[in-house]
Amino acid sequence: MTGTPNTSIARRHFFRDCGLGVGKIALGSLIARHAHAEPSDAFHFPAKAKRVIYLFMAGAPSQLELFDYKPKLVGLEGKPLPPSVIQGQRYAFIQPDAAVLGPRFKFKKCGESGNEISEMLPHFSTIVDDVALIRSVHTDKFNHAPAQLLVNTGNGIPGRPAMGAWLSYGLGNEADDLPSFVVLQSGGSLSGGAAMWSSGFLPSTHQGVPFRSGSEPILHAANPNGIDAVAQRETIDVIGDLNRMQLDWANDPEIRTRIAAYEMAYRMQARAPELMDFSQETEQTLGAYGATAGEKSFANNCLIARRLAERGVRFIQVYHAGWDHHSNVEGGVRDQCKKTDQACTALVKDLKQRGMLEDTIVIWGGEFGRTPMVEASVALGRTQGRDHHPQAFTMWMAGGGVKPGVQLGSTDELGFHVAESPVHIQDIQATILHCLGINHRRLSFNYRGLDIRLTGVEERRVVEEVL
Amino acid sequence: MFRFSIIALLSLGLPSSARPVVAEESDSTTTISYQREIRPILARHCFACHGPDDDARQADLRLDRRDAAIAAGAIDPNDFAASELLKRISTSDPDERMPPADSGRSLSVRQQDALAKWIGSGAKYERHWAFERPRSPPVPAFTGSWARTPIDAFVLARMQAAGFSPNAEANRFTLVRRLYLDLIGLVPSQEEVDAFIRDESGNAYEKLVSRLLASPHYGERWARVWLDLARYSDTNGYEKDRPRSIWPYRDWVIQALNEEMPFNQFTIEQIAGDMLTNATAAQRTATGFHRNTMLNEEGGIDPLEYRFYAMVDRVATTGTVWLGLSVGCAQCHSHKYDPISHSDYYRMLALLNNADEPELELNSLPRSETIRIEAKIDQLESDLPHQFPVEVGADEETSNQVFQEAFDRWCDEQQPLLAPWTVAHPTKYTTNLPHLERLNDDSLFASGDFTKRDEYHISLELPANQRITAIRLEALPDSRLPARGPGRAYYEGRKGDFFLSEIDVKANGHPLKFASGSRSYGKIAVGSGNAEAVNVFDEDGSTGWSTAEREGERHTLILRLAQPITTRSFDVSMLFERHFVAGLGRFRFSVTDSEGDIRALPLEAEVENVLSRDRQTWDEHEREIAVLAFVRSAPELAEARRPIDALRRQLATRKTTMVMQERPAENPRTTFRHHRGEWLSPREKVSAGLPSLFDEPSAAGLTNRLEFANWLVSDANPLAARVVVNRAWRHLMGFGLVRSDGDFGTQSSLPTHPELLDWLASSFVREGWSLKRLHQMIVMSATYRQNSSPPAGQVNEDAANLYFSRGPRHRVDAETVRDVMLSASGLLSTTIGGPSVRPPQPASVTAIAYGSTTWKPSTGPDRYRRSLYTFSKRTAPFAAYTTFDGPSGENCIARRNRSNTPLQALTLLNDVMFLEFARSLGIRAMANAEGTLERIDWMFERLLVRPPTANERQRLLEYHDRQLQRLAARQLDATEIMSDQAARAEVAALVMVARVLMNLDEAITKY
Repeated sequence: MTGTPNTSIARRHFFRDCGLGVGKIALGSLIARHAHAEPSDAFHFPAKAKRVIYLFMAGAPSQLELFDYKPKLVGLEGKPLPPSVIQGQRYAFIQPDAAVLGPRFKFKKCGESGNEISEMLPHFSTIVDDVALIRSVHTDKFNHAPAQLLVNTGNGIPGRPAMGAWLSYGLGNEADDLPSFVVLQSGGSLSGGAAMWSSGFLPSTHQGVPFRSGSEPILHAANPNGIDAVAQRETIDVIGDLNRMQLDWANDPEIRTRIAAYEMAYRMQARAPELMDFSQETEQTLGAYGATAGEKSFANNCLIARRLAERGVRFIQVYHAGWDHHSNVEGGVRDQCKKTDQACTALVKDLKQRGMLEDTIVIWGGEFGRTPMVEASVALGRTQGRDHHPQAFTMWMAGGGVKPGVQLGSTDELGFHVAESPVHIQDIQATILHCLGINHRRLSFNYRGLDIRLTGVEERRVVEEVL
Repeated sequence: MFRFSIIALLSLGLPSSARPVVAEESDSTTTISYQREIRPILARHCFACHGPDDDARQADLRLDRRDAAIAAGAIDPNDFAASELLKRISTSDPDERMPPADSGRSLSVRQQDALAKWIGSGAKYERHWAFERPRSPPVPAFTGSWARTPIDAFVLARMQAAGFSPNAEANRFTLVRRLYLDLIGLVPSQEEVDAFIRDESGNAYEKLVSRLLASPHYGERWARVWLDLARYSDTNGYEKDRPRSIWPYRDWVIQALNEEMPFNQFTIEQIAGDMLTNATAAQRTATGFHRNTMLNEEGGIDPLEYRFYAMVDRVATTGTVWLGLSVGCAQCHSHKYDPISHSDYYRMLALLNNADEPELELNSLPRSETIRIEAKIDQLESDLPHQFPVEVGADEETSNQVFQEAFDRWCDEQQPLLAPWTVAHPTKYTTNLPHLERLNDDSLFASGDFTKRDEYHISLELPANQRITAIRLEALPDSRLPARGPGRAYYEGRKGDFFLSEIDVKANGHPLKFASGSRSYGKIAVGSGNAEAVNVFDEDGSTGWSTAEREGERHTLILRLAQPITTRSFDVSMLFERHFVAGLGRFRFSVTDSEGDIRALPLEAEVENVLSRDRQTWDEHEREIAVLAFVRSAPELAEARRPIDALRRQLATRKTTMVMQERPAENPRTTFRHHRGEWLSPREKVSAGLPSLFDEPSAAGLTNRLEFANWLVSDANPLAARVVVNRAWRHLMGFGLVRSDGDFGTQSSLPTHPELLDWLASSFVREGWSLKRLHQMIVMSATYRQNSSPPAGQVNEDAANLYFSRGPRHRVDAETVRDVMLSASGLLSTTIGGPSVRPPQPASVTAIAYGSTTWKPSTGPDRYRRSLYTFSKRTAPFAAYTTFDGPSGENCIARRNRSNTPLQALTLLNDVMFLEFARSLGIRAMANAEGTLERIDWMFERLLVRPPTANERQRLLEYHDRQLQRLAARQLDATEIMSDQAARAEVAALVMVARVLMNLDEAITKY
């Protein structure tokens, strides 16, 4: 390795451009530099959480069938809600005079907290005392793509950095052989698409890396046909040697960064397949999640999420799409619960058992809720469904500094509006950042003249009640 | 304010271009410059609360204007000590101190001193430099032989003042590669390199520059830069992200750049080409610039809300591209730093807000070809009667008779189902929002804005009082409608679809009841319901009539009254209610008094007219019409019509592009100020106009897009030329003269070379806004020709190259990464323009997008087109480009990031697309050179455009021999590496070397 005349620049350069291998020191150095620069302006809190697993239930699960029991709706079934309740809300499909649909399932009190939970969630019922349940979440958007983008990027229009990208940018990466922001996906299509894990105006190194199912989870992590491990190593060696020769005369620190990037790429190639190999897991663990090696399933993704968390990945976004029950909400919820209830629960239990729940924050939720009113349409062949409902829905959080067993907020007796403790979806973002030691008001990036924050321009709050 | 982001970039890092740049050290011996020193302090620390934003202003104090600051007592230019500002910034009382502690901002001692000195010397304010018109400054005098052009004189003066000297000129290999990359985005061929290296004439360099500027690839290379700003993409974005056809706009850009269209014209045509007198198809195509906004096709959206977001994007993009100002900030509130008020923002929006957004049909075939095909169809159709199937051996007379009988039978079947109709004349027509216009044939044409629930109310009049037994609605095609109509659906549903939910008719004040209904055709798009006629009077809004999949045709609906009435006038109300826009685009009402069992049949209006009457009464022309209708529909002739059907399909192929179309004068769109920028909070109406910042005679009275476009490129706009030359400078030199190059506002970094910036801007305008001339001026300079590396053994103190004491060096853009490999490998297809293509990438890239879109890689030459032509899908951008910071088309990109990551390494190492290029390079080396070393050299020179050094050659040979040895020992399999059963080890070893070369930092670096 040739020496470089300006070590500090080269070093900074390296951190600047290499997404990997930075994090272990990044946070510390941020604090140190900050303290040095502006002592009065401490923006960090002590971080309780080191990483995030976000179980995103895309399509928007019906809170009325799962968490928010509204017996009053039974009596009102078939009648329209008064316009004073609707308040001019725009709907995606139904007309505002649509009739009420009562809850489709029974609820029972669970755990010491006595939380009322749907019979559709027999597994989750066993961990209610480990999570904080928030029944008063609301959002601004009533269509999927904008609402999903809002949850993930803080804005309803594509083009902003995702929460995972912000955290990678702000905190760096703990892992030296995996990306800091990984995306896993099961179920149907995601309305928000790749914009949900975009790095936006941040450098692309902070972008979420989708892990595909199968032996090549990261794009191009496998050698091309005919190139074995030895040849790949020798190739990277000769590339490194020639790059160093170039560095000798060009003296460009970018070259040093690139040499390091190739070494990290090589390590990722080795690490990625190992990550997907479940043979190191016990039968018991596989059984708890309901995971089967090689399948593309939510259960497998939950287990992979834990394995990523163990390996230092900062932000693990697990998407499961399939909750958009415009028709037959009863059958739809039943079906999706079968696919997700066990694995969500197993993940929380597994993290807890391994002592990782303390510094891993797990979030479960969709992009909005569903209407107390029924959706039916002849043209679309829909009956007994529920439309999009941004006014009130339920999410839960666990670990990473979240107080277990908390129930926060409630809705009115129709489940239409939040009655107490409103929590905006971006308050959840602020809370996640807080758990990671970041003041959401200070995590900003100047783009086109605006200091843009994940949590936007409106005043958002950390949901202290669940901490 | 010391923000988190700044801290993060210090340690973690950002592209250095995002760092604050101190362009000028303060010089304590001279007077303090408001421009250079004071405004940056005030802008950063004070203006947020004491600046232009009325709503955010605290204590009713503004410091951005001298009169206001003096009136408030903050500044007293006569009594330095009495200035409240100085007291407040220096007090130790935390309650008094400014900026307040909780703002997270504070002033350094040096900044406090500067403010004190400035007030002491009279507190002189200056207008922000970028808001003053550029003047052409005198070219500095210089000595020595280095400077070649005025650019160099400016650069040298600055460099010498800072104690630096220019670097040596780069060698010829470097220069030829640099020029190729910069001017056409490709690497030169062996012959092109040799020609330049051997050219000993004094103007060899100049000749090369001229040749490259004249290359058709110049337009392709610079179009990519423009398309970043235009946020070009081949899909609509958001959830469904369906394909769109707007590539003719992309081709327009390439052509305009190649033909050296002056930038002012280039601007006017893109902003308002449709409003030019006798606008050509090309000028209308150019308006695609602002049609590159995204279109949300998710079911159930509010279409007007997303149109508003598109408008917001158009304003922000216009601001970035032609003003270099972050006007987007003022969407929600008055700009905190720049003098753009909240109302100013919506006044600008109003300038752009009076257009409809149709698709323009372009000739998909040359006119002569269309005429030829039409003639051929006529000929084939006239022969159809003779092909009517008859028994084998039948003579002509018998054949004619068979045909005649079949025809007569058909006519007799149709006639009782048809009736003569009287067209009703619309006298009054209103809607909830869309605009209805009566056409000469008494049909109504709908335009303007539509919602998910549109209502049309129409009063109709008949020539005379008459008895009515049935009412007919004709849904009519029109070339101005999406997919030629008859509906107005333009997203989510099929284009040109409509959905008539309910229809109510009243006569003499009473609602009429329908007994039955019939329609010529019916089908629903998106959904499983039927499209029967009765749906329109069943009082269920979720059922209706629709004619999906038969767009561009006439369809009819007949409603029979339960009780005939006699009237001269009647009123119709129509409801169009779906989860997407579904209003009718063109339609007409008629009535009949027929008592027959009439039906809506799939016949043309003219044919219907003829067939409804007794055939004995027809004249020759009418008979021809009937015969033609018969031969076009008779099942017996289906086989014979096949060649005609094929020709019709050829004619029906549509080539469209998305354009802007100024609205008719009678339907202007009203613009409102939106409180907090929210769509649902419109406040007072605003009239179109420029921000008061540009308040001068030339800017007064701007009312529409065309006037706005003209103003943007007039002398009155101080910014456009500066922004353009700065952008060109950055692309060629690596960094802009204003480093915050999307932003020239008061928060921007000051230009490192203000005089040079203004000189370039003035020259650019003087030279007729020629981009080619501008690029030529820059690349001809000695500044550009410098070596990019510091001399051996020297540390370059000008590490950020603020003084341009070195040539440019940076990674090439994503598309150029591929284009370099593509041109070096010899695979490049040089075809220019046309629909976008799909180079290979793993299926998993698009499988992750909504609807698991498939990516079918192009075959043949289309696989190897320039990267500019790669199909750009917003929700699943081409993976190899994204990895190298390629744009997704979601935002206007004034400057791309230049990251350097492990995923880039994985892409270049393992992506099969790049391996294909390596194979080709290896195979060509085998054929073009003799001997291993020569072949390695040959590949090296193709890709890196220089001969390898001895050490490089040695190391590559070593690697080659080792791989060859493993191939020979069957540890590696040549046939696998080459994906070719006949492949030999020698070629595979060369391919592995090619792969190494393609992965070198140098291969993707312009230096």
